[in-house]
Amino acid sequence: MKLTRRTFLRGVSLTGAAVRVGLPPLAAMFNSNGTAFAADAVRPASTIDPRFVLWFNGNGIPERYWIPEETGADYSLTPCLAPLTRVRNYVHVISGIDNLGARLAGQGNGHMNAICGLMSGTAFTGRGAGGPSFDQILAGGIGAKSRFRSLQIGVAQESHGENMQRNMSWAGYERALPPEMIPHNLFDRLFGIRNESWVARKKSVLDLVREDVAEIEPSLGHADRQRLDEHLSSVRDLERAISSLPPDYGKHVKEPEDIADLTDYPRIAKIQSDLLVHAFASGQTRVASYMLTKCQSLTRFPWLGLAGNRHHDYTHNNAGTPEQQRILRDICRWHVEEFAYFLERLHSVPEGDGTLLDHTCCIYVHEHAEANVHKCNGLAILLAGGAGKMKTGMHTKSHNSIADVYQTLAEEVFHAKLDEPFPTFQEKMSEIV
Amino acid sequence: MIRRAACALIAFAGLADATDPAFFGAKVYPVFEAAQCRACHASDGVASGTRLHFPERGASAQDIQSFGLSLSVLVDHVDPSKSLLRLKPTRRIPHTGGERIKPGSDEERILTEWIQYLAANGAGAARPTQTASAQPGEIVRRLTHSQYNNTLHDLLGDSTRPASHFPSEDYADGFKNQLRMQDMPPVLVEAYSAAAEKAALNAFRNGDTGHLIPCKAASARDTVCRDRFVRSFGLRAFRRPLSEAEFRRYTAAFTAQADASASFLEGARTVVEAMVQSPHFLFHVEAGPAGRWADYAIASRLSYLLWDTMPDQALLDAAAKGELRTPAQRQRWVQRMLDNPLAHPALDEFFNEWLRLEKVLNAAKDRRRYPEFTPELAAAMVEETRRLLRHLVWDDQNFTDFFTADYAYLNADLADLYRLPPPGGEFELIHLPAAAHRAGILGEGSFLAANAGPIETSPTARGIFVREQFLCQHVPPPPPNVNTNLPEASEDKPTTRRQRLSEHVDNPVCASCHRLMDPIGFGLENYDAIGRYRSKESIQIAGADAKAKTRKIDLPLDTSGEVAGIPDSAFTDSLHLGAILANSRVCRECIVRQMFRYAYGRMETAADQDTIQALFAGFRDSGFHFKQLLVELVTSPEFVRGLNPSSAAKRSP
Repeated sequence: MKLTRRTFLRGVSLTGAAVRVGLPPLAAMFNSNGTAFAADAVRPASTIDPRFVLWFNGNGIPERYWIPEETGADYSLTPCLAPLTRVRNYVHVISGIDNLGARLAGQGNGHMNAICGLMSGTAFTGRGAGGPSFDQILAGGIGAKSRFRSLQIGVAQESHGENMQRNMSWAGYERALPPEMIPHNLFDRLFGIRNESWVARKKSVLDLVREDVAEIEPSLGHADRQRLDEHLSSVRDLERAISSLPPDYGKHVKEPEDIADLTDYPRIAKIQSDLLVHAFASGQTRVASYMLTKCQSLTRFPWLGLAGNRHHDYTHNNAGTPEQQRILRDICRWHVEEFAYFLERLHSVPEGDGTLLDHTCCIYVHEHAEANVHKCNGLAILLAGGAGKMKTGMHTKSHNSIADVYQTLAEEVFHAKLDEPFPTFQEKMSEIV
Repeated sequence: MIRRAACALIAFAGLADATDPAFFGAKVYPVFEAAQCRACHASDGVASGTRLHFPERGASAQDIQSFGLSLSVLVDHVDPSKSLLRLKPTRRIPHTGGERIKPGSDEERILTEWIQYLAANGAGAARPTQTASAQPGEIVRRLTHSQYNNTLHDLLGDSTRPASHFPSEDYADGFKNQLRMQDMPPVLVEAYSAAAEKAALNAFRNGDTGHLIPCKAASARDTVCRDRFVRSFGLRAFRRPLSEAEFRRYTAAFTAQADASASFLEGARTVVEAMVQSPHFLFHVEAGPAGRWADYAIASRLSYLLWDTMPDQALLDAAAKGELRTPAQRQRWVQRMLDNPLAHPALDEFFNEWLRLEKVLNAAKDRRRYPEFTPELAAAMVEETRRLLRHLVWDDQNFTDFFTADYAYLNADLADLYRLPPPGGEFELIHLPAAAHRAGILGEGSFLAANAGPIETSPTARGIFVREQFLCQHVPPPPPNVNTNLPEASEDKPTTRRQRLSEHVDNPVCASCHRLMDPIGFGLENYDAIGRYRSKESIQIAGADAKAKTRKIDLPLDTSGEVAGIPDSAFTDSLHLGAILANSRVCRECIVRQMFRYAYGRMETAADQDTIQALFAGFRDSGFHFKQLLVELVTSPEFVRGLNPSSAAKRSP
């Protein structure tokens, strides 16, 4: 790729301050105003690798304010979906999705069994998922060449603190991949500026660590060798991340300001979204999971004028009353608002003959449909983006399972196989791709 | 490709007959799992008295099959239709767990086929399954985040507590330190690496301020001083002497950096940075190949259990001299270690996690209803409980007083909440008069407020907490698609929380589990959602429209209840309930189990029963002195399992 000029994109952060963002690896695709593209440098869209995002929000939804009545392209955006106005053509609302995995004999409460089935298609073991989550299955196939095989990103912290509630990505049996919740840490991983001598030194340190691991391994039993193998593979991931730093990219991504209030979730969500967009744009990863709030979330929402109570409390205390339903509506609308922000940011980055959003596939889920009853059939989800000829801009009522969605997208968009034993109805969903 | 059984509930068509034992694993076992028999009929279940030996999760097909055959003892071989295996789960005869399998359902038909198979194959079909499940294959433990922070402090004088910004440790099996969860995902390895870099940089930023280097280096190439540093720092970082291979590696890396930068400290910095992210630092692998350094491993086990940090020099010296090998030797050390103030915060962490003390700090309460519930009050509630525990442990009290103590440590706010005269000083001990109507943990805000809703109490939540934390029993969760809304109180039908919860008992689906929880919580209905005593329940009925006034109705409370599964456990109020817990074997043993889980970072298995019983006997014989439980722990054979220190004696240098 020939880089002729460094080009800047202009984005706007939540606070309204302009953020200058440089995307050097993509600069060849842009002309001087950064919006059109130089014809000689354009790669055909078909050769741009699609990205994948699995986006999770805790608890369920108030169905009456969330699921559109009409199906097809002419559906009206419901109060919860209203923030999607500007990107609705990129979004496919699907209702009626069944989470079959939640009905396996999980060892937790309704929330834990639901998220476990939703992410991994397995029964909650009592300690964690019984197998890898869908994003990790995909990452195993398409993440291998990226600087980061996958990223796990989180925003709101509050939950009852169980392993199963706090993690959505699973590398395998009971192996959680915790999300990075602190914007500064995420920024450092992606864009921390390193010079050559730093890299050389770090590599020599990691060499020592690797030799230490290799030396103890033979003396250990099978289970312990597996754990040390995992340590070794994580050290190798770190070495790869260091070796393949995108040159100079980080100089142009503004470091997030210090966030004094770590419960300012609307702000943190937007920074995390910005960083993920940069990570995609600079080719650092192709797969991410994004946990806006935790499973059985106890998030509070002062910015919605909701004093005191926590999300999960609202879903069960007199949840049927009109007042409580309106509160749940506002909460779930905020979830969609943050998702819409992310989609719009993807859309603001030109790539090939379109935008980053055209080459991304997002799945947006909650652990339950109607929140109060812990409903696991009839989930309402969003598919978004334009990767691999996804069909968007409509509402479809489905009777398929979430794993049918996964399988269809894996095969049709990512040309990957879903070999893990997800419980499905084994139906390709021609209505989504 | 065929996916896992798309749920046993969906496809039952085309069943094969039960003609061979494999039928059990394929068809019957999923029915049992869906019915959640395991939840109660396990060693940690409510019905542990009628325990069924369920295979461990992830067990082999063979184990599952032999479990299926073992159920033969519940089959009536003369009249299979009268088998307990059929009558109990379908609740054709009384079953505490209620109707788990619907009579006449496909599930029952599958079960019946299996019963007929077992009946036809006679008692001989049953093969013993009592092979005590072994302890989990050794899994090395990793430093917990707090151990990492403390160790970095003791090793380098670094007080930045970097692990507080690592991905958090989450609860599994009741604690945050369970070894099966101590994975090494890439994000954590990156965090360790970044923290090591910073810590090493800080250590030598202004020279060797922490005195890590035991000599004065003549130059960057002073190999004598280099060698002394690598050995002495290596001993403390890896908590055992370096092997010769390690010594060579680290001295070579030292020299490479010191030469390149012409700085001795740069060499030292590289060694520190690498060592504090080495698996020898992060994992408890002190014993080394063939248990060569078993003595040092014992020193670390003692230190991390009792102090939550690395061994000090005296412990390392004792390890070098082989003075930690026998139970008697360790007993002397544990006494010394418990006298060190480090032991207090270390044990506090166990109590924090066991009692989920952070719950009350995060609790949400309705501000209009409970204006006095401030963050300060919540913090005072935690302090109250912590002081009680510290008194019981460190002043050698009977630990079962935790449930019955007629005194409390209160500040002015708490005394006010409990309607007692203010204490002389902050958190001074106050005697609780009978009129205070409270005793022990069941009368403390950290338990009562944490396990209640924003407005109303939750007898269910309080009952679950007692079951799980104090009786070590799992309560099965509600099935999906169940409406958890309770009928609301109305003007025509003013009802107490208890009366509205009776829905749980009238509905057979709910009743099977709720009768295990709610009746415990009913005993605590004298305390409102923030733990204030009340003799009546005051319900508020909203007016018909916004203008109409909210009406308050006072209703009498019924605080009688029972702890299903514990004989003679009917009680009249919370003080009575506390006494039942304090005197119950299940509860007393549960204290030991919880400590075992925390100390070893894992759930106990059938193979641990002897250990648990021995710990319990020592604890009981001491008059339930908690310090004695710790002594029993470190003198038990389990504490040195896998180390074999006596044979290490011969190998030690």
